[in-house]
Amino acid sequence: MRRELTLTTEPIDEPALIAARTLSGQAGAVVQFVGVVRGSELGAPISGLDYESFEAMARHQFNLIFNQLEKRWPLESVRLVHRLGPVRTNEPSLWVEVVAGHRGEAFAACQWLIDEMKRIVPIWKRPLPPKEDGGR
Amino acid sequence: MQVTVHFYSYFKELAGTPQAALDLPPQATLDFLRARVLEQFPRLAPMQKAMLAAVGVEYQPWSFALSEGDEVSFFPPVQGG
Repeated sequence: MRRELTLTTEPIDEPALIAARTLSGQAGAVVQFVGVVRGSELGAPISGLDYESFEAMARHQFNLIFNQLEKRWPLESVRLVHRLGPVRTNEPSLWVEVVAGHRGEAFAACQWLIDEMKRIVPIWKRPLPPKEDGGR
Repeated sequence: MQVTVHFYSYFKELAGTPQAALDLPPQATLDFLRARVLEQFPRLAPMQKAMLAAVGVEYQPWSFALSEGDEVSFFPPVQGG
């Protein structure tokens, strides 16, 4: 299984990621998930979220998750991009792509990967108040 | 022996520092270190039940025996995505 992990403070460039996709002749399913920042947190408006990570551990834990993915499902590739630092409302903070032979394993693996990420990968977020970056 | 403790997310604000060096008896456990940390940084005490710990880049149980020079991280539940 090919794997690609990017933790970045740069905006997620979805068209560039899609353009860089490579598929074998066996691929039959591409599941893509994009997590975007909501405009409110606990009912209060926010302008975005500021993501912090313990980066060395985050990379290690993502790799452990990818190892498990590889054992559990016959996948061709996984690519994951997670933003760090400030991310404005409606911008993507997470981009995931899972490529497999069939949709069943691609959907299941993508869902499991994100659930595991939220359980063990050391990334935290704090809300940015509306006035901090011009308001929304 | 000495270990370095790192705090992440709002634990940094509660501790008032991103890291600290602590002297411990030989083979002290992670649980022992946690008690020392809560003594030294009492504003973290209410977070004790939600506290996660890693040694290096691995999660470890509270019974884990520490070694000289270990880098230990304490942080709240993770929130990626």
